[in-house]
Amino acid sequence: MRARDINKVELVKQKAIELLVDLGFEGFTMNKLAKACKISVATLYIYYQDKDDLILKIGIEEVERISAIMLENFDPESSFEDGLRQQWKNRAKCLFENPLSAQMIEQLRTSTYQSKVLGIFGKNFKGPLGKFMQNSIERGEIEAVPFETYWSVAFAPLYNLIRFHNEGQSLGGKPFVLTDEILWKTFDLVLKALKK
Amino acid sequence: MDINIEHILLFKTNIRSEGDKRYIGKIMEEHRIEEWTVDLHDIDCVLRIVSPTLKLEEVINLVMNSGYHCEVLT
Repeated sequence: MRARDINKVELVKQKAIELLVDLGFEGFTMNKLAKACKISVATLYIYYQDKDDLILKIGIEEVERISAIMLENFDPESSFEDGLRQQWKNRAKCLFENPLSAQMIEQLRTSTYQSKVLGIFGKNFKGPLGKFMQNSIERGEIEAVPFETYWSVAFAPLYNLIRFHNEGQSLGGKPFVLTDEILWKTFDLVLKALKK
Repeated sequence: MDINIEHILLFKTNIRSEGDKRYIGKIMEEHRIEEWTVDLHDIDCVLRIVSPTLKLEEVINLVMNSGYHCEVLT
C-alpha cells in the first residue's frame, strides 16, 4: 500500500480552500481542483468519494484546527473580563492569520453542510466556554441570559469587524481596516454591555 | 482511515441525474456491489467503486450494457 504523500495532501487542502472561497461551492469542481494541484482527477477520487465528501472532510479538518487555536491559553476559571479578552485575542489573531479559512467557514455556516460543521464547533467549545459562562454567572459577574443573546453580544461584533477587515470594506463600500484601537474599543463596549 | 488504493475503481460516465443514479443503483444492487458513489456535481460524473474483487472491465461492461457510457478515469 502506497503511503500518503503528506505534502500533496496539504497542497490539496490549501488549494481546495482557495478555490472554494474564490468560486463558491457551486463553482467548485474536482476537475478544477485537480488542475490547480497539478494532479490527476483520479488521484483526488482515491481519497474523496465526491465533491461533497471532499468539502465536508476538509471543512471539518479546518474547523477542528481553528477551534484548537481559538482555545489556546484559555482558562474557563478566569475572570469574565480576562477570559473574554483572551477569547477576542485568540479569535482575532486566528482569523487574521487564516483569512481564507475564515471565509470558507463562513460559507459553510450558511450552506447545506451547516449542521455537520457547526456541530464540530459546538463539540469543541461547549465544554470550556460553557463552563466559563457558568462560572461568570455564578460569580455574579454577568447576568444569566439566553445563550444566543450572550453570543450575539460577546462575539458577533468581533466577527463583523473581522469580516469587514477581510473584505476591505464595511457598509456601503466604505473602505475599512481593523486596527487594534478599533478592536479593543469595541471590546470595551461589549464588556460594559455584559458585565453586571 | 487507510485506503487500499488497489481496491478503488474509478470511471468517467454519463450518469448525470438523480434518476440515472437511482437506475444504476438498482444495477449495483443486483450485482451485489455495495460501496459505490457517483459524483453528479462533476463534469466527468465519476463512478467510484470500492471492491477487492471486481475488475475494471467487469464494471465497464455492466454500466455500458445498462445504456450508459463508461470508461476508466485517468
